Amino acid sequence: MRYREEGQVHMDFHRTTNGTIAYLRNNYGQDFLDETFRATARDVYKSIREDLERGDASQLVEHWRYFFSREGGDYEISEECDEIRLEVKRCPAVSYLQGKSIEVDPGFCRQTSVVNSTLVENSEFEIETQVLGNGRCVQTLRKRRNA
Amino acid sequence: MIPSDHFVRYYNEVFKALEGKGREHLVAYWSELGRLQSRELADAFRQGGIQACYTYWSVIDEEENCDAELALTEDYFELRMNGCPSLSKVLDNDAAPSALYCDHCMGWIEPVMQTAGLHAVMDMRSRTEPHCVFRVYADKALADAFASEAALVSRPYGE
Repeated sequence: MRYREEGQVHMDFHRTTNGTIAYLRNNYGQDFLDETFRATARDVYKSIREDLERGDASQLVEHWRYFFSREGGDYEISEECDEIRLEVKRCPAVSYLQGKSIEVDPGFCRQTSVVNSTLVENSEFEIETQVLGNGRCVQTLRKRRNA
Repeated sequence: MIPSDHFVRYYNEVFKALEGKGREHLVAYWSELGRLQSRELADAFRQGGIQACYTYWSVIDEEENCDAELALTEDYFELRMNGCPSLSKVLDNDAAPSALYCDHCMGWIEPVMQTAGLHAVMDMRSRTEPHCVFRVYADKALADAFASEAALVSRPYGE
């Protein structure tokens, strides 16, 4: 896995992410905000993206497992019928903001949906990101039907 | 979720996107972060002075896994960053670093210190190596004297 941080987790960065998302959305619009997530997926997560383009989803799954565990999220990863399903029951980022009584920006979960869609755009995979609200979502990775 | 561990790499992408629209857009964003941070910190810094700065950055030193030495003298609080975790991550990155990455620190700190009535100076030393020296003074003349001897002062808002 390309990035594997250790040591203290500084959860307050989720506050700055939330503030940044609100600032960009309000001042520049959703397309500009989304482009920052697309750039992150394309360039920061180049290694995961290139693995997916080669048909290998293992680094993405390891990334999910490592960072949701590291941040104390409540989640489950299951694999069946050619699908890998990440069910987030309590997102650590949303949970942190709610615990600090910080209003979660309406665009907050686009960091997940846009990064996911960009990671797979040139691969044989698709990721369906269902944002269910209140820190819950389901991210399903599967091969495209026409792949 | 972009993990909190990866926030600075996302931050770096935001900087590049804003800088692409013009440097004034990047500076306006830092100013907004400074305004938000002022709400959290300015009263404590105004009341507690450089001792309060020492207390705040002692927590940051641990929480953000800094390799830093902190000192408090009669005249100033100093954070001597030997290994900045933020720039280190931006450099350990498959994406290119923002040329102005280091200036984000003073970008948010300067508005906070102005609100608190304190005077911060950051000697970045280099924009491509993860170390710097940051001082906060109560006395502006002493802060100006330190800045005049610095190798590379961060001035995100100009002189």
